[in-house]
Parts: sequence; structure tokens; C-alpha cells
Amino acid sequence: MKVETIAERVSEAWPHHPLIALGYLLGCLAGSALFLSVLGLVLIYAERKIAAHFQCRLGPMRVGWHGTLQTIADTLKLVLKEDIVPSQTDRFLHLIAPFLCLLGTVLAFMVLPMAPWLQISDLNIGVLYITAISGLGVLGILLGGWSSNNKWSLLGAMRAGAQIISYEISATLALLVVVLFSGSLQLSEIVQSQASGWWIWRAHGVGLVAFVIFLIASTAEINRTPFDIPEGESELTAGFHTEYSGIRFAFFFLSEFISLFVVAGLTATLFFGGWMPFHIGAWATFNQIMDFIPPLFWFFSKTALIVFVIMWFRWTFPRLRVDQLMKLEWKFLLPLGFANLFVASVVILENWYFFPK
Amino acid sequence: MSLRIVSFKKVFQGIYSLLKGMNVTLHYLLHPSTVVTQQYPENRETLQMNERYRAQLIIQHDENDLHKCTACQLCQNACPNASIHVIPRKGPVTGKPELDYFIWRMDTCTFCNACVMVCPFSVLKMNGTFETAVFDRDLLTYNLTHYAGPTSTVLAKVSDPEERKKMIEPRNIYLDKK
Repeated sequence: MKVETIAERVSEAWPHHPLIALGYLLGCLAGSALFLSVLGLVLIYAERKIAAHFQCRLGPMRVGWHGTLQTIADTLKLVLKEDIVPSQTDRFLHLIAPFLCLLGTVLAFMVLPMAPWLQISDLNIGVLYITAISGLGVLGILLGGWSSNNKWSLLGAMRAGAQIISYEISATLALLVVVLFSGSLQLSEIVQSQASGWWIWRAHGVGLVAFVIFLIASTAEINRTPFDIPEGESELTAGFHTEYSGIRFAFFFLSEFISLFVVAGLTATLFFGGWMPFHIGAWATFNQIMDFIPPLFWFFSKTALIVFVIMWFRWTFPRLRVDQLMKLEWKFLLPLGFANLFVASVVILENWYFFPK
Repeated sequence: MSLRIVSFKKVFQGIYSLLKGMNVTLHYLLHPSTVVTQQYPENRETLQMNERYRAQLIIQHDENDLHKCTACQLCQNACPNASIHVIPRKGPVTGKPELDYFIWRMDTCTFCNACVMVCPFSVLKMNGTFETAVFDRDLLTYNLTHYAGPTSTVLAKVSDPEERKKMIEPRNIYLDKK
């Protein structure tokens, strides 16, 4: 299947029909904005419901059928609330921090191949781009904590910085395994390379270990429990977003949930074949039936599954202490990641994996 | 600093315990019957309060609307902030002391349960009737006994119903203001 991205369409149309290109661009902008905000609402609702049932509660039940309109009501409340900027803060940085945070996640969302026909831009260095751009989110968090003029915020921001930078190494090492196997940094090509089997089991053993490392590291990167020490309610009130209110707080919140989606989507793309349907070797009929299910559905169901697993982590595991967090990364995940990468390269050199190309 | 190799046993034990925890939470997620939340105003008719919930003090009356209180005043003495006043009277027929009014001031009660624990005949009880809000503070001073008269054990020995009626005088849940 030929991957056709929106960016390609725009650049094709630009020399002859600039208006159509502009229309594409605007449509893409409006579509992504709508999609991401609806996604945020849905994810927040899902999180609250799932969390509630994990804890023997019901969750939102009053606004709308089973509380479905609750997040809309909450968003409305946040939008209408006064946007308080505390005195003696670095006003400019305080104002732009949440937008930087959101920008990082939205830019990472740009390269996700959701379907063969639905990808905003297909960079040939997609994986590298994602690892680079997710650093922007840290900047937003750091600035938010720094400019708040509040020691808890600053502590939370510093913790976030230390944590995200540490765990990025492990995440990248796990990504490299898939990059080695598929021989490309381009996300669409990584998906294509999994046509005969997903990397999680096709790269036997190594893929699974890389998946586990990536899942742990990305959970830490998006600051979710058990790695939510930057926010740690019991220790730092709310961490870096203590001093934020109203729409700016909503932006931090939204960026957290979009990055959850992006990370889950990336995991699905790298290890579960993205929009590739589920195929079993020689079962032709079974494979054909699977092909009937649209790729968009495959991508979103895989992503939803990983989102669910990350939520499951959040509502089961207790929070790690800072030293435990660093110990887990530097003494366990990092050596494991390096060993895994080494084994993966040996496996590739010797061509030991299932279903050769 | 001692060189310590990562204990693989510990690692696997840790992973096992994490998986065990995830199993527990998944069980809660998949079994909606484990939900303990009560949708209160909607399920008012079917609401089941917990046995140990303390919202209102009552004197337990049996099926004949008789109680076992002898007006011994132990509860009154046990009450830490004098929310209970046991007012005995001299029985018109028996000539012995018996319960006339059992006054319980809900507005000062701390629901400490001391009166229930001290009651030698297990007459007092805390129940879960929690919708007790009223607009007048006076309405928070209850009279818990349904009648003034002797205990059910004494009355059981009286076989003549006419004789019984003479021994009993009905009482309201509020003090009669004459």
C-alpha cells in the first residue's frame, strides 16, 4: 500500500493550485485540532471511568448518560475560570509554558501513521524526530515550574527534567532495536516492514524485551504513575502546574493525555505493526478476513489497548521514590537496554529471526 | 561500597508481585458487582445502610411496641456531653420507678456510642436513618420512648389487657408541649 501523506498532497498541489494546497493545510489544522481536543475529552472520560472501576467506584455518573458529558462540563468550567498569574513570576515564561508543553506532543503526533491514507507528514527520520521533539515537552514543564516562583513547582519541574532525560535514553535504546530490524527511521516503512509479522514476536525475545523497556520508559516520559514524581500530590501539591489555573491548566492536562495517546500510538506502530492487520503465517482465509477490517480501526484498537495498559499501571502501582526511579533507570533498564540492543544486532547479523524478509 | 550483583530472584519476585497487583485491579474492573458506590438520591427506596453506621439513637421496641428500658440512667451518666436525660416516674399501678421520657439531644450528640455500649439490657442502638435534617433546632431534641411505663418483661406478667392499658401512657417522639 502506498502511503500518501497530507504533507505530500500539499506539496503536490502547491505549484499548480495554491488554493487547494492552502485548503488542505487549513483542513488538516482544523481536523487535527478537533481530533486532538475530542481525543483529550474521550481519554479523560475513559481514564476517570476506568480508574473508578479499578477502585470499586462508579466514577462520573450524573452529567449525561453515565457521565459522558462530564469532561465537557469540566472543560467549560476550566475555560470560564479566571486565569490567575501569581505576582512576582516570570510572566512571559509562565504564559508560554503550557503551550510549549502542548506543542511538543502535537508535533510528535504529526508523524504518526494512523492509516495508509492518514498521516500528516512522513519524515524519513520519523523516529529520530519523535525522540527529539518529545524533549520540547520537558522544556514546557521546566519553564512552567521555574516561572511559577514556587518551590514545589520548581522541585517538580526539576524532578520531571531529571526523570524524562534519564528515561529518554532507555526509550531510544528500545526504539533502536526496531530501527535495526526494519532498517529504517521512517515510520511508514517501519509499519510496512511488519506486513509478515509484528516486531514484538517476529524479533523473538529481543522485541518483547524492547517493548517492555519502551513501555516502562515511555510511561516515565509522560509523567504517569508509577513515575509521577513531578506531580506527586502527596509531596509537591501538584508539582509544576501548582500555580496554573483555568485554560492554561487545561492545556497542561490536555498535553498529558495527548502525549499518552502519542506514546501508545508509537508503541503500536513500532511493536504491533501500526495499522497493519493481524496476520497468521499461512492462514489465507483468516488473513483475508483480517484485511477487511479497516487499517484505521487496527491502529486505534492497538493504541487503545496500550492506553488501557498504561492506565492499568497507573491505578495499580504505587509511586516510586526519586532514588528508586533513578536506580531503576540507570542500574536496571539502561544495562538491559544495551544488552538487548547488542543481542538484537547479533540476531540481525546472523539472520536468526522468524519470517526472513 | 560492596559490589552487589542484581539479585535475579528479587527482580522476578518484584515482577510477580506487580502482576499480582494488576490481577487484583483487573478483577475489580471486570466485576461490576464489586462497586461499592451507592447512587444516593436515586436509590433512596432501596438504600442499604451499613450495620455499623451511626446516625440516630433509638430505643429498640419489640413487636408489641414495648421496650426493656428500666430507666437505670447508666447511659445518662456515660454520656460525655449530657445529651441524654432519662426521666423516670413512679408507676401509677406498680409504684416502682419506670421510664417516663428518654430525652436525646441530637444537636449535641457526638455519636460516640458510649450509651449503647453501657446499656445493660441492650436497649439502645444506633441506626442508619441519616435524613434527620430539620428547620428548627428544637426538633432535634427527641424523646426516644414510645410510651411511659414499665419494661416488656414486667408487662408480660400482666395478662389482663385492661390492666396493661392502665400501666402505659403513650409518648410522642417530641416532648409534649402542654
